[in-house]
Amino acid sequence: MNPLYACVFLAGLAALLGFYRLLRGPTQSDRVVALDILFAVAVMLCLCAALIAGTTAFLDIALGLSLTGFVGTLAWARLIDRGQAQARGRS
Amino acid sequence: MTLLGSGLCLLGAVLLLVAAWGVVRLPDALSRQHAATKAGTLALAAFVFGVAVLMPEPAWIGRLALLLLLLLLTLPLASHALARAAARESGAVEDLAARGDER
Repeated sequence: MNPLYACVFLAGLAALLGFYRLLRGPTQSDRVVALDILFAVAVMLCLCAALIAGTTAFLDIALGLSLTGFVGTLAWARLIDRGQAQARGRS
Repeated sequence: MTLLGSGLCLLGAVLLLVAAWGVVRLPDALSRQHAATKAGTLALAAFVFGVAVLMPEPAWIGRLALLLLLLLLTLPLASHALARAAARESGAVEDLAARGDER
């Protein structure tokens, strides 16, 4: 049994836990944290795919995914931060 | 070499699972982002090193080094933004400020 498939299985399990928090999360911050871990899972699955397929194309996809995840997480977290600061400043 | 690479890959996958488990189990958003970002960074770094050991070719090593550099540059920044948002949303910043005023 190839240990790579065990890695894919473990990453899938982590994705399920992340989706649970994404759907359940009581606050907005919890959902952003879940999104962050889901992007980490996606990058790891891309690396697995690159190893299994034996091509470097999936490595480029992993690079793009990591950048997209960073910008998305940063934008959403800043949005929450600004919104809360304004709400407290007004009240 | 294959054994070392596979071991590092498995270590990374297990660490990512631990990070996700922490995101599910820890009580509030601030501790959740702590679990997700620290353990997640270590997991991805271990996995990238594992892939680099498994595929020691210039085309792979260059892209993997770039990926690791980007991850190590961007994940702490994302962690900081997440911590700010979580602390602001849960009111921890205002609690600390109020406690500072009392003293």
